[in-house]
This record gives sequence, structure tokens and C-alpha cells, in this order.
Amino acid sequence: MQAAIVGSGLAGFTAYQTLRRALAPEEIAVFGAEDDPAATFRRHAAAIRQREMRSESDGHCLPTSFPGLAFSSAVRRRSARPLLGTLCDRFHPTVDEFLAHVGRLRDRSGWERSFRPAAVERIRAVDGGFELDGHGTFRHVLVATGHPGLNVPEELRGDPRAVHSYDAHDYAPSVTVVGAGLAAATEWLNALAAGSEVVSVRRREPLRRPLNVPREYFSRRGLDGFHRLGPGERSARLHALLAPSYPPGRAWDEPLATAMTEDRYRVEQSVNGSEQVICATGFVHGYAHDALLAGLVADHDLETVDGWIILDCDGAVPALTDETRTLALAGVAAQWAFPAADTLAGARYLAHGFLGRIRSCRTR
Amino acid sequence: MSYTLRGRIESRVAAFVPVVLAACVLAAVEHRWWPVEAAALMLGVGLALDVQAYHRLFRYQPGWAALPLGALELALVLALMRAAGVAAPLGQAVALFAGGWLVSQLLAHAGFPLRRLTYSEDGGELGRLGEAAAVAAGAVLAAAGATAYALRPPVVHLASGVHQGPMVITRREVLVGEPGAVVRGGIVVRASGVTVKNVSVVGGDYGISVEHVHGTVLDGVSVSGARLDGIHVRLAGVVVKNCTVDMLGNELGQGIDISYNMDMGMSMVEGCTVTGGMDGITTHSSMSDIVRNQVSRTTERGISVTEMSMGTVMDNEVRDASGIGIWCNDRSMCMIEHNTVVDTRPGRDGPGFGVLASFQSEANLWENELGANPVASGAITQSEVSRARSFSYR
Repeated sequence: MQAAIVGSGLAGFTAYQTLRRALAPEEIAVFGAEDDPAATFRRHAAAIRQREMRSESDGHCLPTSFPGLAFSSAVRRRSARPLLGTLCDRFHPTVDEFLAHVGRLRDRSGWERSFRPAAVERIRAVDGGFELDGHGTFRHVLVATGHPGLNVPEELRGDPRAVHSYDAHDYAPSVTVVGAGLAAATEWLNALAAGSEVVSVRRREPLRRPLNVPREYFSRRGLDGFHRLGPGERSARLHALLAPSYPPGRAWDEPLATAMTEDRYRVEQSVNGSEQVICATGFVHGYAHDALLAGLVADHDLETVDGWIILDCDGAVPALTDETRTLALAGVAAQWAFPAADTLAGARYLAHGFLGRIRSCRTR
Repeated sequence: MSYTLRGRIESRVAAFVPVVLAACVLAAVEHRWWPVEAAALMLGVGLALDVQAYHRLFRYQPGWAALPLGALELALVLALMRAAGVAAPLGQAVALFAGGWLVSQLLAHAGFPLRRLTYSEDGGELGRLGEAAAVAAGAVLAAAGATAYALRPPVVHLASGVHQGPMVITRREVLVGEPGAVVRGGIVVRASGVTVKNVSVVGGDYGISVEHVHGTVLDGVSVSGARLDGIHVRLAGVVVKNCTVDMLGNELGQGIDISYNMDMGMSMVEGCTVTGGMDGITTHSSMSDIVRNQVSRTTERGISVTEMSMGTVMDNEVRDASGIGIWCNDRSMCMIEHNTVVDTRPGRDGPGFGVLASFQSEANLWENELGANPVASGAITQSEVSRARSFSYR
């Protein structure tokens, strides 16, 4: 067995599609709790009633950026509209289109033959690779365990009115939405559409940008400068880049403007007496919240900064990677290497790096 | 896509390889070098813009931007081609550019990402493929340049003094006359790709005869005393420039006659001085541009474009013609711009038209000076004269 992927979510699934360029299903083991790679995403998208992806045509799980979802959508609809849309960066696949894409890939890629329903709780470096919690030794391991948990503000824990946006919920007649990112913006519109009166509570004004981070950070154009930053500067840059944001556009602005004139939407500084408080506050941050990563850091004395594990540019853990073996991270834990690591494009970037390590391995 | 500078350059050069190969094939088919010259200009303009403008202006370049940027590059390439004297048919040059642009878009959006997994995140960099493409493009251009150099026609210097003709040229060569070199009895061009430069011709049935060949250039020649035509072109493609044709005393011969070469592309008469003869400059069934010439004292028309010819008559000065100054005749299509026609005398063809369109011809007139003639302009026998601005080379 050549490689193992710890985590069966979308980041692990995207990495699997890339590894399949070089390895057979029998040479890859995927460890995870659910065999449906989109299970978590599906739950979260359903909870916030998300209909369109924030990502664009290349927000998919294939190893190459072409053909993107715009191309397949154009073929399926027999229309050039998706292609014209993607030329103007205005194509966003629907959640259903994306889930169908994942389903098709899952069926044809051999995913089921590689998947092992098991939770890996500890990774230990040994001669010739890494021992995975009694599941065997692997020369190359990619850890893609995803977000470690939902973030609920301290003051709202135990408040019976509070619900996290990514937990299933309906809307009360008066709703306070805490947060300023895409989930919060989606909740504002959902609650207004459900007839609720909405209060937005946020610590800062949300940024408006099409993607999670500025576009140049998806390529070497922006990454080279980012990778040259020292640990302190890079941490500060990451905090700035990862500030809550949602896309610009009338589809977001007009309903809010209308609701404001009707006194159904307002911004306040603190949670008031609403019947329901929706915490659109994303996920907890930092490796310490992930038991597997915390154990990895403790066992191998890995270098960390502000909750991030220090990584090479391609997501590899430098202290545990050499010419004969690779331990790399993907997904949100790899933002030290790629600020948008929690996106599909980020998962692909890190998968490419991992495959590159395997290909250049002397003992492969 | 957020290109790095290296990514821009590598992507452009790699996408250029099929274009330069196509240009080489086109050059081989057409026996002309303009496709390779145009391709080299395309690459040069693109790289210059990449380095000087695009990299600084666009941290991120959306897909739609390729269209206006492509139009900008096309305009610059065409302007440079004109400035550098690359004689390319406009339609073919635009088609070559458009084909190259389309190929580059297909490669950037589909071909390169499929070939190189990390193409997008590497900002368009292609790694070894980029280096190989640069070597290939450079090698093809260098090979084309070396071939052009090796295939240059031999230069034959004609010494000062009188050489008895007729001189028959049967191979591709450049014949350059030293000051005072005169050929008596005419020159006959019987090979393609011949250039005759700075030679004086005296006498002969035709001063210079060019038939059944292509790529002939007559530059700075001087013709006098021809019994029939001064410069006689049949079924051949020519460029005649900076010439002097003296036909005074010859009432029936033509100064310059270019005929029956419709299928050989555009011919050109530019910067010549023609005196005397029946017609100063005439074309029959020909696509020719007649530009910046001085024609005077002809026994009939100054310039005639006839027998289903097409072409531009521009910036010429016609004096003292008989009957018609500029004639568009016999189902021809003529763009007549910025010419000066004066002192046309009444003659066998009419009362002295500055410009006349006749026998189902179409003449488009723009900013000509025709006032000093008995009749400024006219259209007869189902012909049409319009006065709208048409496409102009000017």
C-alpha cells in the first residue's frame, strides 16, 4: 500500500481523485467515518439552505482545472450560457450540480474499493513511513480531517435560543444572526424570506469579495510572496485574509435594502431579546481542537504558530517528510501553505503537492 | 487566472508554436515570407505587452479580457507590419492572427491544464514544456530566418555604361544598376522573384516586359523610347515603384500596362512619373493599387482602370490628359481618393472629364481635386459615382 488519506470528506476525496492519476485504488487507503465524501457538506448546505456554490467553474474535485463544472453544465444544458458566465467569473454551479458531480466521480473512481470505515486517532512516525493507529504502515499519508468543530460564541453556549447555522433549524418570527461571512449573509436572506425580523450582530463590517481570499492567492502570483513571509507576518496575513466575507452583488444587497426600509433588518452591537439566535460563526480554529493533529504535534514536537502547524509550501509537514516518506495536511489545517485550503481549489492544490512528493519519492 | 510573468511568457510562447508552424506552411505554399514575418511580429508584440503592460496591470485576468487584449494586439501587429513594410494580404494576415488567438485560448483554458496538473496554480508556468516550447519556437524562427537568408536571390550589379539588349532574366535575382547603367533594347523578365533596381532602359518593343511570373519588383527604373509599352505586365504580379517612364512621341503605347493578373493578388504602381503615351497607367482585369504617381501629357486617358479591374487610385496627380483624366470602365470597381486632376483636354473619349465611370462601373470618389477640368466627373452607361468615404489605406 502506497498512500493513505485520513479523512473522507471533500478534501480527502479531491486528493483521492488526484492520486488516482498515479495509483490504483488498491494502492490507496482512505480512512473516514462516512463513505459519502459530500455528507458533511450536504448537511451544512441543507442547514443554511444554500442553493449555489460560492466557488466557480473550477470548484470541483477533478485533478485538473479543465473541464470545469461550467463546461459540463454547458454540455448537459446544450447552452453556451455557462461558458460565457465563466468567462466573466459569473458562473456558480448549483449545489445540486456539484453533488451530482461528486456522485459521478465517486462511482467511477474506485473510491469504494479504497474506503475503510475507521477513525484514525493517532499517527506515529516509524521507519519507512507512518503507522496509523493499528491500521497499517503507509509511506505517504495525507491528513484531511476537515474543520474540527462548530464555533459557538462563549456567551451563547447553553443559551436555549441559540442554534448554529450549520445545524438544521427553522426561523422564529424574530431572529438574531451572529456573524458576517457567507453563512451569515445567507441566513439574513433566508430568515427575511421566511418572514422573520432580522438583527445582524457582528464585530466588524463584512468584506465583499467573490471568493474566500483574493484571486491572486489561488496561484503562485500571490502565493510566492505569502510563502516568503516570516511566521509572525504570515500568521497576521492569514488572519487578514480569512476575515469573514461574502460576494458582492445585487442578489445580496437588494433584499437587505428592501428589508431595511421596512424595518425588518438592522445591525446591532450585541444579542438582544430575539426569540432565536443563529450563530453563523463558522468553525473553531486551530490544530488543538483536532485530537489527531494535537496528538501529532505533541508526539513529534512539531513547530506551530498561533494555532497553525508550520508546513512547507505544498502542505507537507517538514519535520516528518523527507525523500522516502511524506506526511502532509489538506483542508483547513493546511491554510499555512495555502490560505484558501478549505476550498475545493485549495484541496486540489494540496493534492497536487502530495502527488508530487509521492512521484519524487526515491523508494517508490 | 493570475499569471506570473514567467507563466505569461511560457504560455504565450508555447501557444505560439503551432502558429509559427502554420505560418511556415503558409509561407511554403504561397512562396512568400509574410506569414513568418507576421508570426514573428505577433510573438514580439505579445511578449512586449506581457512584460511592459499586462503583468503590471492585471494581478488577475478574467477570461473575457482576452477579447479586447487580442484586438489591441491585432491592431499593433497590423500597424507594425505596415511600418516594417511586410506586404501581407490584410484578410490572410487577420485570419492568421485570429487562428493563433483561438489556438492560444484553447490551449490556455483546456490544453495546458490537461497537460500540466498544476498549470492554474503555477500561474501559467509550464515547467519543462515551457522551456521546450521556447526552444522550439526559437528554433523554428531561427530556421525560417536562416532559410530566408540562404534563399536570398543573388545580386547582379550592372556596370555603368550602355549594355546591348534585349536583356532576358531567366533566374531569380536582384539586378542593380550602377549609376549610369543603361540597357538598350529592353529587359524581359522570365523568372519569378526578380527585382530590377536603378536601371535605365532605352528603346525596345517593350521597355520592360514581365509575363507569367510572380513576385517581380521594379524599383527606381527609368524607361524611354519604347515602341509599344513602357512597362508591360501580363499575367504577372508586380510592384512598380519610383519609376520614370517617358513615352513622349509615342501616341499608341501605354506608359505602364498591367493586365490579366486578377488571380495573382494585388499589384502596385507607386511613386512613378509617366509622361506621354496613349494611357499613362492602365490596368485590365487586374487588382492593382495606383498610388502617388504623376501622369501628364498623354494622348488619351491619364489613368485607366478597366475590364473588370478592382483597385485604389489615390494621391495621384494627372495633368493634361485627353478626354478623361481618370477612367473607371467596363464593370470595374474603383476607389478614387485624394487625386488631383487638372487641365484635361477635350478628346476622342469626351469633353474632358476629370473622372469618368462608364459601362456598368462603380467609382467611389473622396476628396479629389477635379475642378480645373471641363467636366469634373461623370457616370455614363449604367455606371455609378458615389461620394462616401470608403476604406482607405491612407
